[in-house]
Amino acid sequence: MGEQKCAIRCSGITKRFGSVVANDGIELDVQYGEILALLGENGSGKTTLMNMISGIYHPDDGQIFVAGQPVSISSPVDAQNLGIGMIHQHFKLVEVFTAMENIVLGTPGKLPGKKALKAQVKELCANYGLEIDPEKPVYEMSVSEKQTVEILKVLYRGAKILILDEPTAVLTPQETDKLFAILRQMKAKGCAIIIITHKLNEVLAISDRVTILRKGKSVGSVATAGVDAAKLTELMVGHAVSLSIRRPEPKDVHTILKVVDLTVNKPDGSKGLDDVSFHIHSGEILGVAGVAGSGQKELCEAIAGLIPAKKGAVLYKKENILGKSPEAIIDLGISMSFVPEDRLGMGLVASMGMTDNMLLKSYRSGKGPFVDRAPARALAKKLVEKLSIVTPGIETPVRLMSGGNVQKVLLGREIESGPNLLITAYPVRGLDINSSYVIYDLLNQQKEKGVAVMFIGEDLDVLLELCDRILVLCHGRITGLVDAKTVTKEQIGLMMTGEMTEEEKQKEAQEA
Amino acid sequence: MTGTVKTTKEPLFHVVKHAERTGRQMIGFRLLAVALSIVAGGLFILAIGHNPIAVYGTILEGAFRSEIAIQSTVKFAIPLCICALGVTLAFKMKFWNIGGEGQLIMGAVFASYFALNFPHWNHWVLLLVMLVAGALGGGLWGLLAAAFKVKWGTNETLLTLMLNYIALHLVSYLQAGPWRDPEANGFSKIARFDKNAGMDKVLGVHFGWIIMLVLVALVWIYLKRSKQGYEISVVGESQDTARYAGIHVKKVVLRTMFLSGAIAGIAGVCQVSGSDMTLSMGVAGGVGFTAIIVAWLCQLNPGMILVVSLLFSILEKGSSVVQSTYGLSSDCADVLQGIILFFILGSEFFVRYAFVGRSKKGGAK
Amino acid sequence: MKKILSLALAAVMALSLAACGGSTASGSTASTAASGSTAASAETTGAGIAKEDIKVGVVHLSDPAEGTGYSYTHEQGIQGMMKNIGLSEDQLVEKINVSDTDAAAVQNALTELVEEGCNIIFATSWGYMDTCEAMAEEYPDIIFSHGTGYKSNGTNFNNYFGRIYQARYLSGIAAGLKTESDKIGYVAAMGKDNGEVTSGINAFAMGVASVNPDAQVYVKVTNSWFDPEGEKQAAEALIASGCDVIGQHCDTAGPQLAAEEHGVWGVGYNSDMSKDAPAATLTSVMWDWSVYYTQAVQNVIDGTWVAGEKVDNYFGDMADGLVTLADLNTDLIAEGTAEKIDEVKAQIVSGEWDVFDGKTEIKDNEGNTHTLEGADYGSCNWYVENVHEQA
Repeated sequence: MGEQKCAIRCSGITKRFGSVVANDGIELDVQYGEILALLGENGSGKTTLMNMISGIYHPDDGQIFVAGQPVSISSPVDAQNLGIGMIHQHFKLVEVFTAMENIVLGTPGKLPGKKALKAQVKELCANYGLEIDPEKPVYEMSVSEKQTVEILKVLYRGAKILILDEPTAVLTPQETDKLFAILRQMKAKGCAIIIITHKLNEVLAISDRVTILRKGKSVGSVATAGVDAAKLTELMVGHAVSLSIRRPEPKDVHTILKVVDLTVNKPDGSKGLDDVSFHIHSGEILGVAGVAGSGQKELCEAIAGLIPAKKGAVLYKKENILGKSPEAIIDLGISMSFVPEDRLGMGLVASMGMTDNMLLKSYRSGKGPFVDRAPARALAKKLVEKLSIVTPGIETPVRLMSGGNVQKVLLGREIESGPNLLITAYPVRGLDINSSYVIYDLLNQQKEKGVAVMFIGEDLDVLLELCDRILVLCHGRITGLVDAKTVTKEQIGLMMTGEMTEEEKQKEAQEA
Repeated sequence: MTGTVKTTKEPLFHVVKHAERTGRQMIGFRLLAVALSIVAGGLFILAIGHNPIAVYGTILEGAFRSEIAIQSTVKFAIPLCICALGVTLAFKMKFWNIGGEGQLIMGAVFASYFALNFPHWNHWVLLLVMLVAGALGGGLWGLLAAAFKVKWGTNETLLTLMLNYIALHLVSYLQAGPWRDPEANGFSKIARFDKNAGMDKVLGVHFGWIIMLVLVALVWIYLKRSKQGYEISVVGESQDTARYAGIHVKKVVLRTMFLSGAIAGIAGVCQVSGSDMTLSMGVAGGVGFTAIIVAWLCQLNPGMILVVSLLFSILEKGSSVVQSTYGLSSDCADVLQGIILFFILGSEFFVRYAFVGRSKKGGAK
Repeated sequence: MKKILSLALAAVMALSLAACGGSTASGSTASTAASGSTAASAETTGAGIAKEDIKVGVVHLSDPAEGTGYSYTHEQGIQGMMKNIGLSEDQLVEKINVSDTDAAAVQNALTELVEEGCNIIFATSWGYMDTCEAMAEEYPDIIFSHGTGYKSNGTNFNNYFGRIYQARYLSGIAAGLKTESDKIGYVAAMGKDNGEVTSGINAFAMGVASVNPDAQVYVKVTNSWFDPEGEKQAAEALIASGCDVIGQHCDTAGPQLAAEEHGVWGVGYNSDMSKDAPAATLTSVMWDWSVYYTQAVQNVIDGTWVAGEKVDNYFGDMADGLVTLADLNTDLIAEGTAEKIDEVKAQIVSGEWDVFDGKTEIKDNEGNTHTLEGADYGSCNWYVENVHEQA
């Protein structure tokens, strides 16, 4: 049997990028009718491996077998011919086309008629338990509907082997459950599925087997039934890690900023934030939850003064700080630090070294037309030591540093400016477990120093463990502001989809 | 189930992304490309029936054979180098200023106004006024494109490109109309400047070369050491980051494009006052475009720009001698320049990627 | 060593000449200056440059290898000179495609010829004049000889041109006899202000009028000396408005080709354009520049012209052979044309009569009268009675 049921087997796959070995003699196999989770920290080589299977890269060494046959996959078309379909993190759909137009786009041969096509799509949906209106244009679709179209696209091309790269990153818990149901149905139909993720609970929920990569090597495959989260983490990191996050009791809590009726437009004119009101307290961590794109970005940038508000105010002791320059705000006694979601595209200058990045907000200080780099150099050296930042040198461009180290540079710089409000957007995104815990610790230290911390997060487990209060956003509106110690993940999941808490409903009613 | 699957054979070679290269390696790579282009250019010369070594020899000889020749070579480099420094400022900001040509011309026009109308001012006052006017002319022309970009988000590449032609036709209008030389028998040309409006020669070349060296140093210091230079780098890297850092992006764009154009304008002053002694349609003669190549080739490094400008002028000057010695068209110089450009742009690919052969063992280096 | 010595000697001579010559040294008339030079050269035989040491530089507006127009004619003249005097290939350096609207290019071309060690440089196009003047000042031991302009300095910068209007008058006779519509077109490079072009038009129109008082000449200006497309288009516009003979003062054979395409006739310029448009060109107004080039180089060899000391301006005519009319196209010309032309030509060559003699009053098309001496062609900014500008 074995070989016959084996959909994909990778043997000794090696891939180098310059001097970096991204994949080093990787062994992996997945059977038809099986869901394999590919687990590993960022930079462990998961995406590289999948890109070789889907024909984007070519291995330097090793052999890939499909259905027992040794194959060479030189292009995505080869992969498609072999029945391999990949669903990327970022969707590749034509916005103005309908679902079925997207599905059929780029298939060889004569296009079927509209009616026939619709029937085919409906049949596919029925077979795999998918739900989609074939004639709905993509721009009207939710994220999960778009994902469904992506899945249909590969199924329509006859894929029997599906690779999903972090498919749940953009989904609410409820949508995730729905996706998993679909995957199980595909498995029942005999598909082989590889799912890339770093969320341990999802691995445990969906997969039959887990293959773990660490630093480009495959460290083993285990049956999911026989492991737990702690064991998986240990395999992934290489040593046992405590998974509990410290939550010190808030002390000396008082309101430092009041956000009142804040409304912010997106660049396209639509509402990014809609009448948002809440208080920010010093000495506590306020979590912000929500599906990606629910207004988190607008919230951070409006408070940080980077984008103009259409309406509303951010009050500090009854004075509106919106529209004031950073200097003026500091004069009032508020020092804000913002760690944006896009570290290299906003918080740092990717091609500059640490020294020049330290200057980003302080280069104006000092008299005369020239930049004084000496203090920045000293600060960079200090951060390297204090946060154990790994870098060849403080003048090495930060884009060459690993994600965790980049985040330490950014967060370190912001903390060093001695803020009393620290806004962090997805500070652990893309970071390995160790780095994540370092960041949580840093945030807790700030909280203990009396700093007001806003934490925009995506992993509800983390939000629930780290934060004191959680604000939930949906479509730019607040659908809940809850105590993190008492709320459950399911409750937050509902709020993320627009269900309001009783309290919020009352507030809305009062305002109406 | 999948049965026999048809796949293409493993390709003979495939393309692999390289690790990051350092700036020094990048420059090395480009120099290698130049070397290769010389080989390819040699094949071209061979193909048209001449001995490449002899022709290259003539190019070098032609550029250096006498004091006058060396002076001419340096003279060629002046507008090229200065103009390349100008576009460097804009390029550092990732503002694709293709308008060096037009900015140079406008600088020349503004300076010519004073040369033609106030020839009897004190020599140094006149030259200073011409330099300031030239910088202003080029600067405003650059600012125009930036203002459109900032205000309406127009495409700066197209706009600066089109402004080149407007500037050129302005010269055409001036020489046929208001500024036409009355003594020219109806021939459309602008009168030759009074000697008083000409740049003095230092070591046999008009003192534009001193301006060039000073600008090389100034641009280097500005970009590397000044606060404004730092702002340019940040804006060029990411406008979001600039916004985040509290940099007034629009202001930086406008200011930098003014400076970029102003430097090109100074190149125009050097042309009319140092070299041509008049304003003519050929005042820029494509220098603004070659400057883009030079700036790019040098990774926007002012010191390298000086060196490469000199290399280009050797080619230019030498090719002109080749034309008269071998009876070749001077277009051959353009072909050679084209070949060089082709190789440089080609090398960009190899800077980032490498071809890896089919061999299973060994892999990429 | 010897060369330097002779140059020094020449310089001394120049100074002494200037001192005694006083105001007449500027030399407005060629004849007096020429006679002065013979005396000087007799004493300074050492100042001549040996034939083997002569190096000639030429700056061409376009590439003589392409076409039949202006640069081609000059190149013919240079080659003729090389043969007449017996110079070898490496004694000639030529810069081609030097745009006269690009001051830098002119400057570079001239500098390079200086660098090459040329003793005498012929700059063929009008637009090179100012740069030649400046270069002559910078390099006093090199002769800069500039074609068609009016500036000169008497010592190492002269101009050369000729009475081309004589041939134009004769060609006007051919056109006037040939036209059936009594409408004759003329493609002009430059407008009324340009004396060279305008005097030529007048001579042509006067030739027309001498045989056909009813015929009118319509002028269309291209505003460029060298514009292959524009010249042809101008001719086509003239033909469209009814002209059936097309004269021209521009550098390409475009107008002749246009005439041939539309089945009308034409008069060429610079070289014999009947080889471009055999079915249209009646005759062509031509230069034989070898006449001047040979004389100029010979003067340098003989020491008649010494850089830094003296050079003369040159203004040749039909009698010298500088200005000629191409053989008449006997298949096309009207009856009696050859006879009439021969008759007038004999008068011109003998000096018995000239078109612009400086005495005869000529009426312009605005009712004023003028007199014009051929050498003052530059001052001619009016059209004769039967000339009309076409927009």
